[in-house]
Amino acid sequence: MRWIWIDKFEEFKSKESAVSLKNVTLAEEHIHDHFPGFPMMPECLIIEAMAQTAGILVGEAKNFKEKVVLAKISKAVFFDFVRPGDQIRFHTKMESIAPEAASTTGKVTRGDKTIAEIDLMFSHIDQNLGGKQFPKENFVFTDMFMSLLQGFINKPAAETK
Amino acid sequence: MAMDRDQVFEKVQEVLVDALGVDEEEVSEKATLMGDLGAESIDFLDIVFRLEKAFAIKIPREELFPAEALMGNPDYVNNGKLTASGMAMLKEKMPHTDLSNFEKDPDINKIGDLFTVASIVNYVQSKV
Amino acid sequence: MGQIMKFVLIDKIISLESGSKIETVKSVSLAEEYLADHFPAFPVLPGVLLLEGMIESASWLVREKQNFANSMVLLEQAKNVKYKSFAAPGMQIRYTVTVKTIDDNVSSFIGSGVCGDEPIVEARLSLRHFNLSDTDPAMAAVDGHIVASMKKRYELLTL
Repeated sequence: MRWIWIDKFEEFKSKESAVSLKNVTLAEEHIHDHFPGFPMMPECLIIEAMAQTAGILVGEAKNFKEKVVLAKISKAVFFDFVRPGDQIRFHTKMESIAPEAASTTGKVTRGDKTIAEIDLMFSHIDQNLGGKQFPKENFVFTDMFMSLLQGFINKPAAETK
Repeated sequence: MAMDRDQVFEKVQEVLVDALGVDEEEVSEKATLMGDLGAESIDFLDIVFRLEKAFAIKIPREELFPAEALMGNPDYVNNGKLTASGMAMLKEKMPHTDLSNFEKDPDINKIGDLFTVASIVNYVQSKV
Repeated sequence: MGQIMKFVLIDKIISLESGSKIETVKSVSLAEEYLADHFPAFPVLPGVLLLEGMIESASWLVREKQNFANSMVLLEQAKNVKYKSFAAPGMQIRYTVTVKTIDDNVSSFIGSGVCGDEPIVEARLSLRHFNLSDTDPAMAAVDGHIVASMKKRYELLTL
């Protein structure tokens, strides 16, 4: 299982908003546990997909110099469930950004229907946990995520290791 | 946009209920953010972001929650208590808060108790 | 009915007071595949999986209290979920979830996770519960299958 819960970006407006999508498929191993006989995408993974979409928006706002991690789920509300064969979209908007943190709002849609609303806060961990050291390289924004942004932004200057 | 104190209080109350997940009744004027309402550093940022949006103002974080900047400085803190210059600096940075009780025992572990709902209301009212 | 469990985010139910409170544990291990991506050089349990641990804990409170009457127990809302510290391989997280309300089709809880003395996560959650056959009688067999699996899973977790 790769820890990537979105398949593609459809829109990306730097420092403002983004839209990504995910195809939900029976090929995903975990889905057969949740629940046996009636597979559906677990709500927590819908939240993660939103966090990845919004996290990339927040990260790009600082040119991926910061290690952006999920610090708080302000609110995640679900109006329906998601099944294999569904294609869902994550629409997110940057609300506030500061050196230490950022906040985003978002909704998840399937076709015209809003199936969830998810508001998140991210922390820039190098700016926060005083005394706590992290590996120098940005382990959050790996090639797996950066490849999603091909065509949307200019590739940031490669970090020297 | 001049607002009277009650109006400011109501909006601040709403912000704190949303940011901290507490009930409206818990957000009284004298409730402390950290002690009574369970706020931590990520919540402080959440509160600043929401207040900025709710009141259409800009809030430099050190203005609303200045203590953190003081804590690391050995001129201001000695043996777990604020020095005279530390106390003076705190008063300057927190004109909206009544520091008279804290001054009697300026224990830095008690700084969190200074952040009350009332001090936020006072601060916001000075900006709108 | 053999079951390979890949999406279960608690390892054991330590205690359960019916309709009131549950304590569960989750051990974090490098054997968990997604840790390789989260993150390379800094493996930590993803925050949403800490939330899932609390959702599952709360779900068991519902299922047990309602005697597995509802097949579907889903997250309706999570609020003020705060991540306080990272959960790394070798750590054991202990979740405590207490009931605020459990009604037929909705319930609400307060949950927290700690590792020893160290707070890791806290959350407020609401669940919704129902049977697929409530809206489509043809789904009664599916409900039955889910309930049977959940009963077996419960046995495994309370061994």
